[in-house]
Amino acid sequence: MNRSGLTILDNICLYGTTHLMWLRAGDAYRSALPGQFMMVTCGDSEASYPDPLLGRPMSIYGLDVNEDHVRVGILYDVVGVGTRWLSRRSPGDVLEVLGPLGNGFEPDLGLRNMLLVGGGIGVAPLIWLSEWLVDRGAVVALIAGARSIEGIFPKELLRPEVEFISVTEDGSLGQKGLVTDPYRQLLSWSDQSFACGPDPMFEALHAILLEVRPTTELQALLEARMACGFGVCYSCAVFPKTGGAVKLVCTDGPMINSRTLYG
Amino acid sequence: MTSNISEIDLQTQLASGGKTELILKNPIMVGSGTFSNGVELSKRFDIDKLGAVVSKGTTLRPRLGNPIPRTVETAAGMLNSIGFQNVGLSAVVNDYAPRWEKWNTPVIVNIMGENFSEYIELVEALDGIPGIAGVEVNISCPNVEAGGLEFGQDPQLAGKLIKAIRSSVQLPILVKLTPSVADPRIVAESVAKAGADALTIFNTIPGMAIDIDKRRPTLGAVFGGLSGPAIKPVALRHVFLVSREMDIPIVASGGVVSGTDVIEFIMAGASAVQVGTATFVKPDAAWQILAELVAWCDSNEVSSLSEIHGAAK
Repeated sequence: MNRSGLTILDNICLYGTTHLMWLRAGDAYRSALPGQFMMVTCGDSEASYPDPLLGRPMSIYGLDVNEDHVRVGILYDVVGVGTRWLSRRSPGDVLEVLGPLGNGFEPDLGLRNMLLVGGGIGVAPLIWLSEWLVDRGAVVALIAGARSIEGIFPKELLRPEVEFISVTEDGSLGQKGLVTDPYRQLLSWSDQSFACGPDPMFEALHAILLEVRPTTELQALLEARMACGFGVCYSCAVFPKTGGAVKLVCTDGPMINSRTLYG
Repeated sequence: MTSNISEIDLQTQLASGGKTELILKNPIMVGSGTFSNGVELSKRFDIDKLGAVVSKGTTLRPRLGNPIPRTVETAAGMLNSIGFQNVGLSAVVNDYAPRWEKWNTPVIVNIMGENFSEYIELVEALDGIPGIAGVEVNISCPNVEAGGLEFGQDPQLAGKLIKAIRSSVQLPILVKLTPSVADPRIVAESVAKAGADALTIFNTIPGMAIDIDKRRPTLGAVFGGLSGPAIKPVALRHVFLVSREMDIPIVASGGVVSGTDVIEFIMAGASAVQVGTATFVKPDAAWQILAELVAWCDSNEVSSLSEIHGAAK
């Protein structure tokens, strides 16, 4: 956990209302892992307090590391005052960022077929995960779902090895329907699944997992409202349906096994 | 020449005399519910530099807390309705106090009971435990159904509670007051007379937000407590009103984000301040605020906080 000013290298609208920003990062990010996140201050950090006040939790979309530099990417949807402010920043501007935070995905590298499922902007951490897995010899399929074509990540930016399945609720791109449909079809092929998106999506995926392939696991990367991102504000509580102990998304997660959540 | 922290007298006293003495090396405390129990952040930052740490609000038994959403951002602030999610009394005594004992900064345990006897049970269990330097009696939490606020708004009941606590324990007693009263001096006087060592002024201000898409309250628990820079002027007024008429040490709590905020509260009559919401924005906010306080004293040739204490009164 490191709070520092990161310089913006690039900030563009990638598709629909979704933007991609690359930042020059410090050595603290060299050991970051897919599924970890950062708290991004979306206001003037020179002021006695930023406006808006609280940082925005954003999963790491990409990490580009070599001997000379570390670059970290975030993919964000412009939905409110914070992300609108962010979308107006230019290369050279400095953002206050706390990270890397939380516990990310834990792929079992002894397994081969990896199935990734992203709902909406939940695709963000899965892009890096797909690259990370391909680099380590896994076979990867990524299901991306959105309301319409405007919410679908551009296929050409993925590694060519990744099989990409897009699903839209209105049928404007790919299959019409929800991510649960292709998930059900591909699950018998998959050895391990990873998902990021809204909570109801995890619950639906978990139900299919229990039905179709209960011997495998689903790692859910949870989205939550947070004030701090490091375990002191207790905003991001999760109450497992199993009745187990209350979890905090920021420090117990954001990756939580679907069995822990839903039994 | 630049002076450093050791050359400026930042020491402040919250409780005096005999066994209940509580002296802080500087006036920067971290407020309850914004620092968990300190263990996580003590690994990152030098905890011994802080004046004091106030624990997460502790209840007799562990509590799961309120449904989500538990927080919502507001203009220059936020609402929270965490609902006292905490590990409970025995974990504080058995797991946390031994760690706090190793720190060179006092830890004050914030406690909340659902009724009179729970408060007594809590303080009796904490009294004499190494690592616990005092209690902050929360009679002002807006986020739980029972206890808390009902004591804080009733001067007779609050006085009776603090008197009973005073006669049960030797620990220094801070009482955390509510902003939700017409005149803060009435409850303040009552608990001071009952034997409180210091007053924490104040808890969050009750409020709410509405999600207009869902057409219902944003917070899972409907109501929450407002904190952050937005409430500082209100806290400042309460501190000023109470300190003008009473001689009890006051710990100011409400929207402190900078060294100059600390100066304002000290000039209003506070002996110490609690940094709260600012920690959510920057985990090392309390340390930065302390550095700003020192820098201000330095550039204004203030060599002791006593020179500015209550200066605005």
